[in-house]
Amino acid sequence: MFENKEKTLVFDPRAEIIFLILANIAAFTQRSIYVEVGLIALLIIMLVYAKCYKASVKWIILFGITLMLQYYILPYGPKFIRDTFSFLVFYVRKIFPCLIVGTLIVKTTEVRYFVLALRKWHLPEQIIIPLSVTMRYFPSIKEETGHIRDAMKLRKVKGVAKLECYLVPLMISATNTAEELSAAAVTRGIENPVRKTSVVNIHFYIQDYICLALIIISVIGAVVFK
Amino acid sequence: MATIRTSGSKALKGKDLITIGIFSAIYFIINFIIMISSGLSPVIWILMPGIIALLTGVPFMIMVSKVQKTGAVFVMGIITGLLYFLTGQFTLVILITFVVSCLIAEIIRFVTNYRSYLGNMLAFVFFSLGMIGSPLPIWLFRDSFFAQIKEQGMSADYVANLEAVSSTGMLIVLIVAPIIGAVIGGIITKVLFNKHFQKAGIV
Repeated sequence: MFENKEKTLVFDPRAEIIFLILANIAAFTQRSIYVEVGLIALLIIMLVYAKCYKASVKWIILFGITLMLQYYILPYGPKFIRDTFSFLVFYVRKIFPCLIVGTLIVKTTEVRYFVLALRKWHLPEQIIIPLSVTMRYFPSIKEETGHIRDAMKLRKVKGVAKLECYLVPLMISATNTAEELSAAAVTRGIENPVRKTSVVNIHFYIQDYICLALIIISVIGAVVFK
Repeated sequence: MATIRTSGSKALKGKDLITIGIFSAIYFIINFIIMISSGLSPVIWILMPGIIALLTGVPFMIMVSKVQKTGAVFVMGIITGLLYFLTGQFTLVILITFVVSCLIAEIIRFVTNYRSYLGNMLAFVFFSLGMIGSPLPIWLFRDSFFAQIKEQGMSADYVANLEAVSSTGMLIVLIVAPIIGAVIGGIITKVLFNKHFQKAGIV
């Protein structure tokens, strides 16, 4: 438990949340392809800096594919396909910066650091607890639906019945998880009304400030270059 | 099974918060998948609140039956809103419709004393109406909305398509769809409650 105490984070979780908000603003105000590519490049460099090599390669390839689709393939395709997919591709490209920062947060920040960040911002516990549970539970849903899919393949479930077969086990496992998790959390004093202390700590370091400055520059770029 | 029973107070406790968190995750995932697929066609976007209501009835209804306290729906709404904010889908209009619909849902639950099935279903109808804030700007600020999405580089075909689809009649469809969807979603939940969940002892 204690070796984590000395571990320094790549970015402060608070900085990461600000990155996310700024990347959002930049993504939805920019109209110039150069600003967009610049922003994506910056975010991928941050991802590489955080040692997420696999994810960086994945995002570069995906971004390349969407650009190709939008400029070289879809305009020459049949009208039906163009109508159906041009918005989807456009839309996915818009949320790319958010997805990359999202990857960064998920890969580098444990939920307890995140919780600490939100506590430092004095969010009420009634929001912090469910929000952290929600974020922790997403991977479990993925895992769970994988198991359900395998089970359905074995039993050859087809059609609308599939939906029921997804929902019911998911609900039952969710309910059981809620029971178990609450038992564990109550034992560890979640209902204790005093202000929580933390064994870990977070600070803004030089890399946080540099990346913040760079992202702010790209937001300005997004607003200025039309 | 050991259930944690704290005093009968109506404030949200640790266990309630965890339950809300878990069901919000399921609600958000279903919601998000439909939201993304609504990019395929403007019609799906307008029907989206209805489709979401139809498919999210089960997690919502189980959540409210497990947390029979003030604020559960509101916290779920805030979490969904925060997650949407992080994924860049959140607008001021959604914020307003979300807050209003969650408040109405909470009032209905308070009046019906949290236990009534019909009361919970009615609360779900209003909660589902919160999602209409997503396509609502098309009608609220029609001209500036179309000017803005054109400027953002959306393909001209899509914009023309959206303009054609978004008649006043479709506004009624947008509002009625979640009501019908939520009622059907509520009925499906009732069937599943009787068929599975009561047997499994989770409600």
